[in-house]
Amino acid sequence: MWSRKSAMLGSLAVAMYLLGLTLRNSQLVTVAVVIFVFLTWAALVGNHADVASSGRRAEEWSGEEGVALGSVVAMRKLSSARMFEDGELSVTLRMQNTSSLPKILEVRDRVPEVMRIKEGANYILMELGPRRETYIEYTVECPLRGFYSLGPVTVRIQDAFGLFHKEKELHVYNDFLVFPKMEDLKETFVKSRVPKIFTGAVNIRQPGPGSEFYSLREYFEGDSFRAINWSAYARSGKLMVNERERDAVSDIVIIVDSRAVSETGPVSRNALVYSTRAAASLAKYFLGRRDSVGVIVYGDEVVSVDRDTGKKQLYVILTKLSGAVARGNIPLQVVVNRILPHINKGSPIIFLSNLEDDPTIVNALRDFRARDFDVTVLSPSSLEFEFDARRIDRTGYEVMKTERDVLIGELRGLGVNIMDWEPDMLLSTALAGARGF
Amino acid sequence: MAMKSGDTAHLYDGKTVRSSAPSRKKLAGNASATGEIPKDAIPTVEIPSFIESLLGGPLVPKMKFLPPDKMVQNLQFAVYGVLVALALLTFMISPPEGTIWYIMTGSLGVANLFQLSIIVGATVTGFMGTYKRDARFSLASNILFILAILRFASSKTSLSNDLFGFQDNPGALAILVVVYSVLLIMYFELSNGVIRYSMLDTSIRTNEVYVMNPKKIVSKYHRSLVMNPIVATLLAWFVLSANMILPAIVRIFSSDTATRMEESVELTSVYGVALGTLFVFIVVGGLFGLNLPTHLQRYRESKAE
Repeated sequence: MWSRKSAMLGSLAVAMYLLGLTLRNSQLVTVAVVIFVFLTWAALVGNHADVASSGRRAEEWSGEEGVALGSVVAMRKLSSARMFEDGELSVTLRMQNTSSLPKILEVRDRVPEVMRIKEGANYILMELGPRRETYIEYTVECPLRGFYSLGPVTVRIQDAFGLFHKEKELHVYNDFLVFPKMEDLKETFVKSRVPKIFTGAVNIRQPGPGSEFYSLREYFEGDSFRAINWSAYARSGKLMVNERERDAVSDIVIIVDSRAVSETGPVSRNALVYSTRAAASLAKYFLGRRDSVGVIVYGDEVVSVDRDTGKKQLYVILTKLSGAVARGNIPLQVVVNRILPHINKGSPIIFLSNLEDDPTIVNALRDFRARDFDVTVLSPSSLEFEFDARRIDRTGYEVMKTERDVLIGELRGLGVNIMDWEPDMLLSTALAGARGF
Repeated sequence: MAMKSGDTAHLYDGKTVRSSAPSRKKLAGNASATGEIPKDAIPTVEIPSFIESLLGGPLVPKMKFLPPDKMVQNLQFAVYGVLVALALLTFMISPPEGTIWYIMTGSLGVANLFQLSIIVGATVTGFMGTYKRDARFSLASNILFILAILRFASSKTSLSNDLFGFQDNPGALAILVVVYSVLLIMYFELSNGVIRYSMLDTSIRTNEVYVMNPKKIVSKYHRSLVMNPIVATLLAWFVLSANMILPAIVRIFSSDTATRMEESVELTSVYGVALGTLFVFIVVGGLFGLNLPTHLQRYRESKAE
């Protein structure tokens, strides 16, 4: 392939040649001929570049030499296929030259644009000897959640003057997953009001077998002597027993707004980023106390993870959250209508949204409240993100902030536990604020 | 036995897998725990202008070069040497007669002054471009050198200053022009090489590029710097010797025709050169058409085995 430099030299030579013939100037023609010759020789020498190659995954590679369909083979290995945001990924690229001739190669391993090379280099200029192989190692930082692919590997061979080159993409791809990072939560203040069949570690604000104190009542026949509160008996002269709050497994439903508007703000600081991180943290917390957690992500479609418990469920939720992409504009009412028949009565619902651009939010949350669902709304404020990034002026900010405050006030009036989540606020603080602590 | 796969492909069976959200494409860099946007988070997308695309890169280099290493310094010295020789040869083979300045002013003195100014300008900008490693000056120098040899002159090469008495020796004159042409293209290449290797050196030292066996890579470039001018000189000489080679071939069949050809004005003129070029490049084109480089490569590979 011609480089721009060779194309320019070639054009110059043609122009000089024609001008020389027109002007009958042998000097111009001579210069043109020398440039032609120079280019021709470079093309001849550079054309030995045989980059017919094949790429294969390192995992598929078997045997000592691998299956080489050409003279240059690339294989790649990742330190991990899954990590959390801000994690590091070590990449080992193995380049083989199966030819009997040495080659000077330019190798570039394509890394997703959001990633940054932390150590080493993904762009290498190397002299690879005959039947030799080499390992290239580098580390990338993964700042944002998502599904990513490394690859392809671009190999280029060119002549010494950079006039002609041959380029080949070795289609070696390695996929990996970056989960949203999580915050450790000590308490969420979210409890179910409705018991489930099997008791668990969560108090549901009803008396029953459990560990947390609920209230005192008079002793009735059949009550366990161990439940008698002797201090209360001493005070009142009546036999009083401790009632405990019933422990049960709760159904927690987390709804994440991933509409296009949720990505308003800088790429690393917007409602969707905060919502996915919050959802991951909450899921981890609730699953850790043996709750059953379901997640609904809506944007251009409603994607749900059915309620379940355990570590596997956390993995499934994290995978779903990693793939949440801001697009579409499904109203919350549609989501509520769809999921309402499938949620157990009284289950806590946590809704993560910037509450923008959806006129159905009030009605949708009213529907939840009308059925006595315990609704908590954490609303990362896109306004703050935009204002911090100096994308909106003070007046615009104030006007929109007022509108937002009115909406939040209205929702609070419905009995929704809501918190205007400011960018620098910890999730635990926002949750406590939402629950009135 | 099927090897255990460590990839996550099974997670997205039937799903659309994408590298990232479109708006996220802009983000590079690390999002810190505080969530602040790093300064280098949004990479700038450089779209080269038409001129830049012709020149093979940005005319105004965005990269600030680190002080030159030994390799770049050697290249700079080579450019200085070639530049001086080129300036002298340009002055010798481009007399003011027939230049645009002569046609415009009609004065030999003024044209001479113009011509000299252009050559001096080309040399000075060439020095500056190489010393400062600024492609703009080098480009200006290249253009001025080309401008200096644009002459509306006759077929015959004439010298402005015949220090070595080449004017009466057509062979020596042809060699002089060929040497001039080779020096011109070597100047183009070397001045470009200063920029290229400065970029490479800076990239290596800032860890953007990793270079394995740099000595071998540099030695290949050095080898090419010697080999290519020699080959270019020989091949160009071959092309330009059509007025000698063609009669020699024809002489096999008819000595009279060969003699007439030798004395032919057309064959010794620029059209003879054009004829030689045509013949040689028909052969070269044929070789490329037959995919000779690939066959040559296969031969080399099989020989190495």
